[in-house]
Amino acid sequence: MKTLGLIIVGLVGAVLVSATVNFPPFGDPESPASLHVSPRYLEKTLEETAVPNAVTSVLADYRGFDTMFETTVIFCAGVACFLLLRVPRRRLPRPRQYRHRLTGLTFRIKEGGEVFLPLREFEPVDSIWTPHDFIIEKVCRYLIPFIQLFGLYVIAHGHHSPGGGFQGGVILGASIILLSVSHSLRTALKRMGEKISALFSPVGVFIFAGTGVLCLGLGYRFLDYQALATLLPVGPIMARSYGILLVEVGVGMAVMGTMVWIFKNLASRGRYDEGL
Amino acid sequence: MSEHYPALLVILPLLASFFISAAGWLRPVYCFPLAVAALGSSLLVSLGVLGDVISGGPVSYWMGGWPPPWGIYYRVDYLNALVLAVVSAVGFVNLIAARPSVEKDFPEKAGPFYTLYVLFVTGLLGMVATGDAFNLYVLLEIAAITGYALIALGKGRAALSSLHYVFLGTIGACFYLLGVGYLYIITGSLNMEDIARLLPPLYDSKVVTVAFAILMVGVWLKMGFFPLHAWLPNAYTYAPSPVSSLVAPLMTKVMVYVMIRMVLTVFTVDFAFLVLRLNEVVVWLAVIAIVMGSLLALAEKDVKRMLTFIVVAEVGYMVGGFWLGNQAGFTGAVLHILNDALMTLCLFLAVGNIVHVKGDSRWESLPGLFRTMPWTMGALVVGALSIIGVPPTCGFFSKWYLLLGAIQGGHYGFLLALLFSSLVSVVLFFRIFEIGFFEPFGASHGSAHGEGGPAIQEAPLGMLVPLWMTALGLILVGLYTGEIVGRVIRHAVPGMML
Repeated sequence: MKTLGLIIVGLVGAVLVSATVNFPPFGDPESPASLHVSPRYLEKTLEETAVPNAVTSVLADYRGFDTMFETTVIFCAGVACFLLLRVPRRRLPRPRQYRHRLTGLTFRIKEGGEVFLPLREFEPVDSIWTPHDFIIEKVCRYLIPFIQLFGLYVIAHGHHSPGGGFQGGVILGASIILLSVSHSLRTALKRMGEKISALFSPVGVFIFAGTGVLCLGLGYRFLDYQALATLLPVGPIMARSYGILLVEVGVGMAVMGTMVWIFKNLASRGRYDEGL
Repeated sequence: MSEHYPALLVILPLLASFFISAAGWLRPVYCFPLAVAALGSSLLVSLGVLGDVISGGPVSYWMGGWPPPWGIYYRVDYLNALVLAVVSAVGFVNLIAARPSVEKDFPEKAGPFYTLYVLFVTGLLGMVATGDAFNLYVLLEIAAITGYALIALGKGRAALSSLHYVFLGTIGACFYLLGVGYLYIITGSLNMEDIARLLPPLYDSKVVTVAFAILMVGVWLKMGFFPLHAWLPNAYTYAPSPVSSLVAPLMTKVMVYVMIRMVLTVFTVDFAFLVLRLNEVVVWLAVIAIVMGSLLALAEKDVKRMLTFIVVAEVGYMVGGFWLGNQAGFTGAVLHILNDALMTLCLFLAVGNIVHVKGDSRWESLPGLFRTMPWTMGALVVGALSIIGVPPTCGFFSKWYLLLGAIQGGHYGFLLALLFSSLVSVVLFFRIFEIGFFEPFGASHGSAHGEGGPAIQEAPLGMLVPLWMTALGLILVGLYTGEIVGRVIRHAVPGMML
């Protein structure tokens, strides 16, 4: 069976490679792909959308409908992870541990037991809790705000340089993941709770699709951002640019929320304790 | 408003899915009503589009206001208007039937469940409506990812079966994407009609042939065309019943539609039938699919699993009918997309009811069911008669067209395979009827004289009403076959096949 599989893979690969003989040469300026639709994207992007970065204008405007669904794919992945992995709270094992912040003493509360601890001095911990590494903790604490600032820059500057919602969202999401890796999942949850990250992703995609519906409501076609000119004090071309910025923000939110959400579910196998 | 229908069709459920997801966190009770509203409205819109197409011909919609081939456009013609109506109707009816099982099996996850459910239907609707080859891939991703997650929600080996499906489904989607990529390299366009316009001078190029082959294999893998069906039976068997009755009727049928659309609109019939001359080979493959699907179904002792092999055989019907390359075969294939979606829905809903009451659908659970679950079993009989092909159920008419196509095309292998598969279906279903009707004879014989046997123990009304709507739909569609073929399908037949 294994040999048969290898033979099939080899054959399919050979067929695929054999067809490349008829491909246009690599980097050929006369190839159909660079003569048919792309010239308009490259030459007219500035006058049609007021965005100098052709990648951004193709992604978020000319083919913005695709991008909306790409963002929805990410949202689907987040919901799917949650649906399959998250253990409902009432099914979690009940014994809990609390650690005294100053002395490091840990108390274990049996199932059904009730305690009245001064919560300010105690923190809930898990059985496999390990102390944070001092250096990593401090370095990351100073690093994370700058990472997030850079993420915002990447989202906002997608019009002019490589970047945009997807990349910026990933950077923002990674900053929260770094927090939970360097500190603990509970620390990250305190900063960005489960509900918040789970709401970020539909809200983000909603901003994208909602912009489209707004255009539709203003009497234009779906995702035809020039409709926004009726709301903003700018012309229809500049309105496209603003529309692109708006959807990029939505994409960034969705990507960030989903990344953090998926990480929490995967890292703790849906239990939201220290699975790492 | 009606000029926005092609866009609204997808946007309404898409928007609703975000609200359902948020409601799952804030107000879980609103999840189900929102889902019903979403799919209900998209059903209405799809019927509106169908009406527009029947009265005024194909409609198209430029997303973002960009003209093709620069932007993405949706195009609804006679072929996909019908498929859109079927997809949204099946999604809507099944959603109503899903509620009792969702509340019983995973109440705390209703929010994400309905979110993915609505997104799955959105993905399928978009795949059917789009006129852009790459946009189809993106929507295929949505339908696939949501499908994998919903299937993995089942019990037992569901997660493993879903993993197999993920592997093979991803390979299928990659092959499709690779095919589209090859086409883009030599034409520079992603718009279906634009590609079709640019292709004819390139027919000699090896790239087009390889693109066609790889694209077809990808689509066949996704539709479970024998021998690429290995993922299908387990995935559909172990999925929770509301998911099986959603995915089994829709996913394979939509992929059959994608195959037809790709041949018809992108590569054109001339290329597939006259340049490559693949029709004979593919029809023989379909013959093998029909025969093997039927034989494998015979070996099963679980109703749900048996149905999954019937799905494999039915895919062979549609693929073979289309590749016969004549008007009757094409009509039969397209009509069978509609009919088979409804028949499969009816049967899977009935099995879902049995699972809901009895816990599983193995043969050990069937004895005496005609007495305890008369309504469910009644609908199962209607669905079974339709699969067998008994008039006036709709299954008869599409099979009739397919047989006619086989005779006109002189393809007697396909003819024999159709007849063989019908006979096997008779055996399959009458075996179930026999167990359900006669088996508990020994056990309940004594009480039959006294108390009148075991009491009725039916599925909840919320599951019976959609089931019977579907069962009656089978007969109605059968009675209106003339209308459907005359007003819609006849206009979709490509000129070469007339």
